[in-house]
Amino acid sequence: MNPQLQILIALQDILFMIREAKDPSQKKAMDKIGFKMDNLASLESTKSDLESQLSLPILSEYNRLKQRYGRIVAPVITGVCYGCFVKIPSAIHTSESRDATLHRCENCGMFLYWVET
Amino acid sequence: MKLSEILSPERINLDVKATTKDGVLKELVKLLKLSTPAQKNLIATLAAREELGSTGVGNGIAIPHCRSLVVSELVIVVGRSKKGINYQSMDRKRANLFFLIVAPPLGDPGRYLIALGKIAQVAGLICGDKRAKDIKQRKQFLDLVKELEE
Repeated sequence: MNPQLQILIALQDILFMIREAKDPSQKKAMDKIGFKMDNLASLESTKSDLESQLSLPILSEYNRLKQRYGRIVAPVITGVCYGCFVKIPSAIHTSESRDATLHRCENCGMFLYWVET
Repeated sequence: MKLSEILSPERINLDVKATTKDGVLKELVKLLKLSTPAQKNLIATLAAREELGSTGVGNGIAIPHCRSLVVSELVIVVGRSKKGINYQSMDRKRANLFFLIVAPPLGDPGRYLIALGKIAQVAGLICGDKRAKDIKQRKQFLDLVKELEE
């Protein structure tokens, strides 16, 4: 897998986790089950560390996408971008090395990740 | 929602060998049969979740969980360790029963929370059930989950 894509996926997972931890209703539901979500500083630190590993052009796109959509990587399932639900060109979708290259959706611009189904 | 319908025998490990929290996460994630980079990503996200607050809920139970892009549907993996491991649980007791749950980020948040709640409930019942310790077959364990959630 493209190393920058791997970092972007990790960042997106962390961004979701931070959002959940900051959402009072989610936090309340988790508290009720018995899960603590108190150490937000640790997540913020992991996020910063990952961001520092992105190349400058990708970091700039990451910031733009994060601001616009609140997420940066769209899963591709059965050839469809789940960021905007537009079909990915089959030349990219069927390429054996698709994960080795950093692809972006031609419609929404999000980075693409082919989810293993 | 029935946990026994999401869980499968291939995703149950009744003899977890790991002796550390990271080791348990690795051993459980392996059962999902993801590619190596996807496994690496998932383990890192689960470890980040543990940093946020331990998912060791006490009474020997841990429920590591997260949302991750690397899965396309809600998945559950179960592990049992005979010796138990130090999981930084709230009651400081060793954890020996692990329910790993991972959901895609775009999935229904309600379904994820319901699954987490049901797991916490069923895991508590399993802990209090004398038969659970002696179960040797994965299918038997699944049958017990089915019985306890009915």
